[in-house]
Amino acid sequence: MSCSPFDLRDYFFGELPEQDRRQVDLHTKGCAACREELNSLRSTQAILLSAPDEEIPQRIGFVSDRVYEPSRLRRWWRTFWGSAPRLGFASAAMLSVAIIVAAMYQPTPVTPVTVDVAGLQADFLRQMNQAVEKAVAESDARHERRTAELLAAATRRFDSERRADMAAVSQSFAILEKFAKREYRAANFPESSR
Amino acid sequence: MIFRAVEDADLIPKAQRGDVEAFNLLISRWEKRVFNYLLRILQNRDDALDLSQDVFLKAYQNLRKLEDPGRFAAWLFRIAHNEAYSLFRKRRPEGEPPQGEERSGQSVTVGGAGVFPIELSIAVSSALGRLTSEQRETVVLKVYQGFKFEEIAEILSCPISTVKSRMYTALDLLKADLSPLKTRGVS
Repeated sequence: MSCSPFDLRDYFFGELPEQDRRQVDLHTKGCAACREELNSLRSTQAILLSAPDEEIPQRIGFVSDRVYEPSRLRRWWRTFWGSAPRLGFASAAMLSVAIIVAAMYQPTPVTPVTVDVAGLQADFLRQMNQAVEKAVAESDARHERRTAELLAAATRRFDSERRADMAAVSQSFAILEKFAKREYRAANFPESSR
Repeated sequence: MIFRAVEDADLIPKAQRGDVEAFNLLISRWEKRVFNYLLRILQNRDDALDLSQDVFLKAYQNLRKLEDPGRFAAWLFRIAHNEAYSLFRKRRPEGEPPQGEERSGQSVTVGGAGVFPIELSIAVSSALGRLTSEQRETVVLKVYQGFKFEEIAEILSCPISTVKSRMYTALDLLKADLSPLKTRGVS
């Protein structure tokens, strides 16, 4: 069994963190058993590696084959999206378009309006009073015109009736005068009245 | 003009977009490692070559699903592992996991006083062949392919503790098997 602070095999295969490696380095400087164990690992690995890799007897290679190749559209699409600069350019272009569109269609900001309620009420009352006064004045004028028309009509009718009465009175007076004259002549001048 | 080595990180995005030449370059960087990984766990050259081709075909078909190019190596060896175990299952329809040869309790013997490279290869191959398939695959991924335990756990779909357990058990067995070679000064 090894007395190393960490597994010598992990150390040998380079699987220890640097700090642990340093501890094993220090330990093996003063520990003959661990040095021997490490030498044994090295020689075993050396023997294993003494059987060299063989050359491959036949090189492997592919020729372009449509069966395995993606379509022209897919190749273009992959090429486009596989390129970092192009992808970056496309992203920047899309972002620019989005900013321009947002700027064009952004509604103008609405500035807040302070409403003078008292002023509006006063104005409303003033306008309403004016409207009422105007309506009253128009109504009065209409009534006055109607009264004047009625008065004029009544006056005309009265004058007409008065003239008719006067004519009737005059006619009655004329008849009465004629009758009185005849009676007077009959009384004073009987021979002439026959 | 600046010359810079072409890296997987350059090739993977191109291959993902359907660039066959980029994928062929990627293959040229990995085919030897994948072939040797399969050769060591299958211990059959023809199977290793056939499966290597299948591995890269599946990799090409599924490369677009790989989200992190930094995980390409583990992802590729995961495919290779699946292909190898698929072959094991075909060969063993009863579903038993492939096991190493029965351990005889004897070390690998290498004849003569001197040790020749071919003898070394045979001894190593024989020692690896005596491990269980899980142990052998873990040793291959760690010693020959240089993966971290975390990556091996990802490739084999098992916990890191299991990977370490397999690795260290295998290491003890290999040390015992290969000790005669050490005494003859091979290391």
